[in-house]
Amino acid sequence: MKEQLDQMLDQGRSALLAAATVAALQEVRVRFLGKKGELTALMKGMKDLSAEQRPVLGALANRVKEDLEALFDERLEQVREMELEQRLASERLDVTLPGRRLVAGTKHPVTLVIEELIEIFSALGFGVAEGPEVEKDFYNFEALNMPKDHPARDMQDTFYINDDVVLRTHTSPVQIRTMLKQAPPVRVIAPGTVYRRDSDLTHTPMFHQVEGFLVDKGITFGDLKGVLTAFLTQVFGKNVKVRFRPSFFPFTEPSAEVDIQCVMCRGGGCRVCKSSGWLEILGSGMIDPEVFKAVDYDSSIYSGFAFGMGIERIAMLKYGVNDLRLFFENDLRFLRQF
Amino acid sequence: MIVTYNWLKEYVDFTFNADELAHRLTMAGLEVDAMERFGEGLDSVIVARLKEVAPHPDADRLTVCQVDTGSEVLQVVCGARNHKTGDLVALAQVGTVLPGDFKIKKSKIRGQESFGMLCSEKELGLAEESEGILILPSELPLGRPVFAALGLKDVRYELGLTPNRPDCLSIIGVAREVAAMAGRPLQVPQTELAEGEAGIDTLTSVTIDEPAHCPRYAARLIRGVRIGPSPAWLVRRLESIGQRSINNVVDVTNLVLMELGHPLHAFDFDLLRGGRIVVKKAEPGSTFVTLDSQPRLLTAGDLMICDAEGPVALAGIMGGENSEIRDETVNILLESAYFNPLTIRRTSKRLGLRTEASHRFERGADMAMVPVALDRAAALIVQVAGGCIDRGRIDNYPEPYRERRLVLSVERANALLGTRLSLEEMLGCLRSIGLGVQLAEEQDAERLVVDVPAFRPDLEREIDLIEEIARLHGYEQIPATMPVSRMLCQRPAGHLRSVVQVRNHLVAAGFSEAINYSFIAPSSWDRLALAADDVRRNPVTILNPLTEEQSVLRTTLVPSLLETVARNLSYQGRDLRLFEVRPVFLPRAGEELPEEKWRLCAVWCGRREAEGWSQQRADVDFFDLKGLAESLLDSFRVEKLGWLAGAEEPFLHPGKSCRIQAGTRALGTLGEVHPRILEGYDIDLPVYLLDLDLEELFAAAGGAGGFMPLSRFPQVCRDSALLVAEAVTAGQVLEVLQAVRTSIVEDFALFDVYQGPGIPEGKKSLAVRVRYRSAERTLTEEDIQRAHDKLLAALGNRLGAEVR
Repeated sequence: MKEQLDQMLDQGRSALLAAATVAALQEVRVRFLGKKGELTALMKGMKDLSAEQRPVLGALANRVKEDLEALFDERLEQVREMELEQRLASERLDVTLPGRRLVAGTKHPVTLVIEELIEIFSALGFGVAEGPEVEKDFYNFEALNMPKDHPARDMQDTFYINDDVVLRTHTSPVQIRTMLKQAPPVRVIAPGTVYRRDSDLTHTPMFHQVEGFLVDKGITFGDLKGVLTAFLTQVFGKNVKVRFRPSFFPFTEPSAEVDIQCVMCRGGGCRVCKSSGWLEILGSGMIDPEVFKAVDYDSSIYSGFAFGMGIERIAMLKYGVNDLRLFFENDLRFLRQF
Repeated sequence: MIVTYNWLKEYVDFTFNADELAHRLTMAGLEVDAMERFGEGLDSVIVARLKEVAPHPDADRLTVCQVDTGSEVLQVVCGARNHKTGDLVALAQVGTVLPGDFKIKKSKIRGQESFGMLCSEKELGLAEESEGILILPSELPLGRPVFAALGLKDVRYELGLTPNRPDCLSIIGVAREVAAMAGRPLQVPQTELAEGEAGIDTLTSVTIDEPAHCPRYAARLIRGVRIGPSPAWLVRRLESIGQRSINNVVDVTNLVLMELGHPLHAFDFDLLRGGRIVVKKAEPGSTFVTLDSQPRLLTAGDLMICDAEGPVALAGIMGGENSEIRDETVNILLESAYFNPLTIRRTSKRLGLRTEASHRFERGADMAMVPVALDRAAALIVQVAGGCIDRGRIDNYPEPYRERRLVLSVERANALLGTRLSLEEMLGCLRSIGLGVQLAEEQDAERLVVDVPAFRPDLEREIDLIEEIARLHGYEQIPATMPVSRMLCQRPAGHLRSVVQVRNHLVAAGFSEAINYSFIAPSSWDRLALAADDVRRNPVTILNPLTEEQSVLRTTLVPSLLETVARNLSYQGRDLRLFEVRPVFLPRAGEELPEEKWRLCAVWCGRREAEGWSQQRADVDFFDLKGLAESLLDSFRVEKLGWLAGAEEPFLHPGKSCRIQAGTRALGTLGEVHPRILEGYDIDLPVYLLDLDLEELFAAAGGAGGFMPLSRFPQVCRDSALLVAEAVTAGQVLEVLQAVRTSIVEDFALFDVYQGPGIPEGKKSLAVRVRYRSAERTLTEEDIQRAHDKLLAALGNRLGAEVR
């Protein structure tokens, strides 16, 4: 019986070493170590052995079993590794085939710029206000120091609904509405749609603006420069050059037009900046005492500044869009670029 | 306003070069919109004499010229025919680059060497068109650059002036600013006037019936002039600022207008009936022919210059045809007046007639300039057209200018600007532009008293002076600071955040945002087949639209989106997902302003998924868009949602559309666009459309929702296929399941709908999957069976559903 066990060990070892697949290994294991396997069958003969021989051969049989099982585990590990290697070696994808894409939508560039502006001015502590697009003449003009027959009304060609109601020509009426509701300090921006009766290569009858203003005690023209420079640095990068130059708006005094160095030519002069090296980017100024009078703020106590800018203009410079009218044609080839 | 470097230089001795001047003007608030250089880089075009002109031996049309430059004689071949020996010409020497990037090289023309080119006015950029080469005046020195010799080397600046600066609508006004920048005195042109014997008072008179509209009217008589062409210096001067010469007298009035900024008018005195002037209001309803030959219908508000019988000029805007200067004119009445800005503005605007004169009067001319401009023009007319100025001038001045006196607080100016300027610095700034400034009192270091001259009508308040100080001190010099202000909590309002949430949701679902004009064509309602009594047919209408197509405000976003789809289809795009989130405008009875209601409109057509190599092509259908709507409404936690068959929208397919409700709130509609409507928009594939009232959606939105603890116990799934009558809807099944669910029902879903072989006629199979899980324990088979049986029983009882 000892010989049989030794022989079984040899046979089992060589069978395990010969098996090259997990399945073959399992087969060998079943053949020798299974419930109906050879070792089990041999062990059944143990009951016929003498009392002295039984423990000796029992121990031997156990060692055979342990040896084979250990070898089996070892081989199993090896063969699995080998099989995995083979599988990995045989599986290859053309990874350059396009993926199964989800369709990603896009926001209109005007929306993107408005969202960015809200984010920047929120960080500066400004709230966001809205007002009606169909607006009373009073809010759009009169309270902003533009009485009827004022030459400054020529600066904005207006769509009328009737004598007293217009499509707002700027977002400045939101300034009036807000100040009538709220005592200083106020810090608000008002993004929105505005309308002017003008349509050519560089004008669309509808466009977007963001108006902003800050009123408190001791606000200076220097503060206007500080806040707007900080803002423009956020939008156009920290190396952008900004200049403030005198201008005129009926609702601010002193008024300033704000230019940035041309983003196309870096100040060298090109078609976009009409060779000046500068691009007009926003209008601003210290809020005129007449406006404070209209909203019942005491201009001997409070001062403030206001500013307004065209969103499409910023979007054109930021994204390099060369035709204003594209913003309202809604060609998906355009919209999907943002 | 156009000014030139040379002209400004006559009044101020500044040292800025052309670019510096442009920068300084812009930074002083006189924005340079355009700059044009004349003669730049053309110093190598010199004055030369034709020593000899001989025919070209091998070309009939060419001449071979020997050209004397003063230092050498060069041979030049020339193709012109208007030159002869002895003429002075403009020689572009070899190496010159003429306008248009035309480089002059040494060349051989038909065998004859040529060392340069004889230029025409066109080639030098002096004229749009010219015939032959430029023949120069004979007194010019040989060898000098032509532009310098002619005084034409110059820079023209086009200024974009703001409406508050009428004082800069003249060379002298701009020069005053340049003088302030340069710290040099302004040299005002001096006029010396020789008058004749006859006194003007004996010859004519001026009567002002409307002193409020015409506070000052001055006139002179010049008799015996000869109308004719202007001398070259006058022609060139006007050309230098882009004006055309007309005749000597008119040119003088235009020159003085540009130089001093004061509009003048010359009447043919012999055509003034009664030989006198009356300023009065127009006869309402009468017609007057202005000198552009246009009849003008007048109203009672128009101010007219009349003679003894009737109007001869539209005051401050344009003269009349009946009294204009003709070639035969001999005697001139020259008008210099000041008119009320509003009066001029109203008439000019009503008539749509804008002139150099009206532009200045409506912004505010200089009342003190009236006699100055008059005398200057009179003197110049005599100089260029002969004649004699009658003695004296009429100066009817019923409403004298009252000088404004303003007080400036130094402290207030510094506080507003964020500067620390001294009283002396401010005083210097204000004096530099010609304001009268003194200390309010001796020893007062705080306040300045400022007398505002008539040429600055815009300076009316202390703040106007503060602006002048900022401007003259220089905006660049004011330090940028960050404001100190009390904190406020100002999160954007809920409405705004909700709109952002809607946009984000649509974008995440693959839709691109469109923005269409708020105004559309009134015919849009018919294209949507809206019923005659549909409230959307009652829009806000624009009184002065650009076109009929843009004449009413949108009451619905649908037409714009369908047009957007059609437009994109024409660009070959077929797979379209677009949305727009904007307000619509609905008139409100008894309210001045309409209601502005935000809506969402989304359209989807073409493929369901992106095109690809492994995806099956499947077109979008109703349930894709419904899924989008469901997920959007879920994100707002809208409850009691109802999907009611039939949108009752004339532009949607009656069987493939629905109304969306939350309780009793109508949120909007959803469905396939009606094929007939699509045809009207030239759209040739099915389009699915979602139209939501966002105000209603936001009002129906639920709260933040509560947290459900997670169960640690396993989930068990139970599927049942139910046979129901065809008319039973999925909604009914889901409603019953919702109504009778017990606490161990985690969720349920409809996962199959089937009709066909194996299902009896008139029936359909709906498969539902119910997931069971308890928060407290592992469910037993009996628990689940009991709960599931209860659901099935309820479905059986209420809907007649049988388990297949």
